[in-house]
Amino acid sequence: MSFKNEPLLELRRESERDRLTQALQSLDRTLPIAVPVIVNGDRRDRPSLHSCDPGEPERTVAQATVATAAEVDAAVVAADGCLLTWGRTLAGERAAALRRAAGELRSRRHTLAALAVRECAKPWIEADADVCEAIDFLEYYAREAVRLESASELTQLPGERNELYYRPRGVVAVIAPWNFPIAIAAGMTAAALASGNAVCLKPAEQSPACAHALVEALHKGGVPAAALSLLPGEGEVGAALVEHPGVHTIAFTGSGAVGLQILRKAAELAQGQRHLKRVVAEMGGKNCVIVDADADLDEVVPALISSAFGFAGQKCSAASRVLAHERIAEVLTQRMTGAMRTLLVDQAQRFGVDVPPLIEAAAQQRVESYVQGAKVDGANVVRVEEVPKHGFFAAPALITEVRSEMPVVQEEIFGPVLTIERVREVEQACEIVNAQAHALTGGLFTRNPRTIEAVVKRTPVGNLYVNRAITGAMVSRQPFGGNRLSGNGTKAGGPDYLLHFVEPVVVTENTVRHGLAL
Amino acid sequence: MASAPTASLPSQQRHDEFDTEVRALARQLAAVSGAGLRHPLRAAQSQGMELVSRDLALRTALFRMVDVAPACSGPVELAEHLAALLGEVGQQSAVVKAGGRAASWPATRRVTGGLAGGAIRRMAGRYIVGETPAKAVPVLLGLWERGVAASVDLLGEATVTQAQAQTYVARCEQTLEVLAAAMGSWRGRPLLEVDAAGPLPRVNLSVKVTALTPLVRPDAPERGRLDAAEHLRRLLRRARDLGAHLHVDMESVDAHELVLGLVLELLSEPEFRAGPSAGIVLQAYLRDAEQTLERVLSWAAGACREVPLTVRLVKGAYWDHEMIEAAQHGWTPPVWSEKAESDRCFERATMRLVQAFPLVRPAIASHNLRSLAHAVVCARRAGLADGDLELQVLRGLGDELQDAIVAQGLRVRTYCPVGDLVAGMAYLVRRLLENSANDSFLAQQASGVDLDELLGAP
Repeated sequence: MSFKNEPLLELRRESERDRLTQALQSLDRTLPIAVPVIVNGDRRDRPSLHSCDPGEPERTVAQATVATAAEVDAAVVAADGCLLTWGRTLAGERAAALRRAAGELRSRRHTLAALAVRECAKPWIEADADVCEAIDFLEYYAREAVRLESASELTQLPGERNELYYRPRGVVAVIAPWNFPIAIAAGMTAAALASGNAVCLKPAEQSPACAHALVEALHKGGVPAAALSLLPGEGEVGAALVEHPGVHTIAFTGSGAVGLQILRKAAELAQGQRHLKRVVAEMGGKNCVIVDADADLDEVVPALISSAFGFAGQKCSAASRVLAHERIAEVLTQRMTGAMRTLLVDQAQRFGVDVPPLIEAAAQQRVESYVQGAKVDGANVVRVEEVPKHGFFAAPALITEVRSEMPVVQEEIFGPVLTIERVREVEQACEIVNAQAHALTGGLFTRNPRTIEAVVKRTPVGNLYVNRAITGAMVSRQPFGGNRLSGNGTKAGGPDYLLHFVEPVVVTENTVRHGLAL
Repeated sequence: MASAPTASLPSQQRHDEFDTEVRALARQLAAVSGAGLRHPLRAAQSQGMELVSRDLALRTALFRMVDVAPACSGPVELAEHLAALLGEVGQQSAVVKAGGRAASWPATRRVTGGLAGGAIRRMAGRYIVGETPAKAVPVLLGLWERGVAASVDLLGEATVTQAQAQTYVARCEQTLEVLAAAMGSWRGRPLLEVDAAGPLPRVNLSVKVTALTPLVRPDAPERGRLDAAEHLRRLLRRARDLGAHLHVDMESVDAHELVLGLVLELLSEPEFRAGPSAGIVLQAYLRDAEQTLERVLSWAAGACREVPLTVRLVKGAYWDHEMIEAAQHGWTPPVWSEKAESDRCFERATMRLVQAFPLVRPAIASHNLRSLAHAVVCARRAGLADGDLELQVLRGLGDELQDAIVAQGLRVRTYCPVGDLVAGMAYLVRRLLENSANDSFLAQQASGVDLDELLGAP
């Protein structure tokens, strides 16, 4: 039976919207949420790290306890200790625990979506999608683990028996981002657990409560306490995990700078360490959308708008560079300018909001500096004028008349900024894409099958979207991950993802006794 | 199952009588409209459509060709696309192979591209009455002379900016003016100009709310409603002052609440109590169509407007879209999955509508002879005069049918799109799909399915 994604809420129905609003009201009464360090089932509360509502920074969403070095060590030791039990259970049993955890998330989906709205300012549609994706990851990796356990198709000759086993690699440090606060943490954690590893989860400091909810669901579903510890904190906690000699695999999603640091650190052998650490890294993008002269602009404009400005551009898959065929570039720019001006920049909990606040003040400053820099460099900048004063809002910007060497064109901004460049033809656009260091997602709008074929052949990106928006990858439908500096080529939600969390062992037995195959 | 004609006629015998009457009327309509199918050109087109219907891959390729045509800069680019699209057809017949070659060879591609472009323009000309309202007037006059009323629909690109919304409003206003100026001098057509509920405007414009606002957000209908309200008020005022009818089209479910909520809200406002004549659309393919109808009827009962609301009953034109969207999101489709269910819902809604006259004016829009004949018989049984019921067809699809309806002394209005080819392509592709869908009445009729079978109760 083919995999079925968790259905999204049908938010065009008023009754569904009302339920979410009620869930948010209930949640608000329980804030702030205490997020403890959980090591081997032991809960420790020493709140010192606050996460806030980006749209109303005075509102504290969670008060988290920062894990100490000793707690990091204890978590890794506990994780290592349960490998002999959890790691050796049948995949079916682990899968059952993950499915029960998925059920937990499902039963709390309205509250969890509300939590993502509050803690990360995800608009409802995206907050709900985040919960659904988390459920998908749990369900998908559960079935993949079962498949992996039974798949061993080696060549067999008379007199020998060849078996291939996939063993869990060991302790996995999951270092999760805040932009998909439940889903990505769930994906990396579930993949590790499903394949028999034990996990030390370090959530983003901006979204500890979302990660805590996930950990609760997994424990409730039957994942042993020792197999999953929660270690909130900032960079030091992540660094301590990465450097810990007991950690075997690091699953990371986040910025390129941190990713490279992790790769470097993971390559150093600590005293007494008897294994190579493996890093699964999902990093940034600078994603281009090519618009050919024969594209249907009625489709292009809404797709570009949502890809670039949805969730204020805070997705690694977001569109940031449009490469438009010169024949339609002007019309497209005109319509994009007008369309951008219709964007509603407001609080995430408002239904129909197009652009919510950014995650934090630093992000606000980063966006401003890129936009101001582009102005100084002589680019033409159009921005949305009406933006709430309070909260970490940034006015979406559409930037034209840029030169390729400008930082706004070259660097990942992770905010609501889109540039439009003219190209003579698709071929030139392909060269521009090919010259980039990042290769995560890409888009192409054309109605000529041969153009599609040509671009598919040349594209370096991990996920190419044709004639549609370039964000919103779905588990099992669009396995997701980038190439080049965007990541080490892993595909979350795809059929080979679990292979990064296991070590193959091949056993060959001689079955010949006295010249007879017995 | 067929709807019983009225609650007081439950017996099988009366039911059979009703059905016999429906079939007899449908046959009369078929006899007249069928003559059109024997016209050599129409016959060729029908056969061509049937051929295309049978080969799904070829159908997709040709529709994609039509879709991209307005974006092509000239014959060579048209030919490039044609060659590429035909190249995607797996099992190629000799004709397709030859077409693909002609579109690829440098010596023949310009001519081939030109031919393809010409064919598409001619096809578009069948469905679209003119590039501008002024150019459409002679066609509309021709229809009027044949006893056919019209509703004009302005085709346009998708509204993604406020400027586009304003342009659309201006085009609508201008259209109302052009039509009012032109139609005033046309000769009287009592059947088309008055029913038991009062006078019927000659000028009839269909508008789309999604063209009035770029702020269509399925999860926030109030955003679009607030934004479109002022534009729609402007059009309602203009229509009222010119004595025109303004009909608000229904679109996909994503905009359903926005459209319905907006129209009912505005028509309740005191300034529109005395006019204009206005209408909405009910889509029978929606599972909750009948609940929507009840909502509309109770609104109409409470609104105390002087001019009854016209309710155009259609099957619905976004079935594929709704099914795809539902499947991709994991939702229960909002539309019936079987065509027969839509047909049955259509008949039930028809009955309810004719019984509600003159609280609302029923306008039954279909190319299904059974559905139309059923409506006429229902209306007659409900005590309506033939002139109290309006039947509607689409330009290009229902041309023969429209004349057959006139010949029966019934009132018909033809939905007439106006606009250029670029803007009209989305409309055109939808109509072509409809015309060639294997379960459509027209396609089945054209492919020679036994009429008796087609006319049975759904």
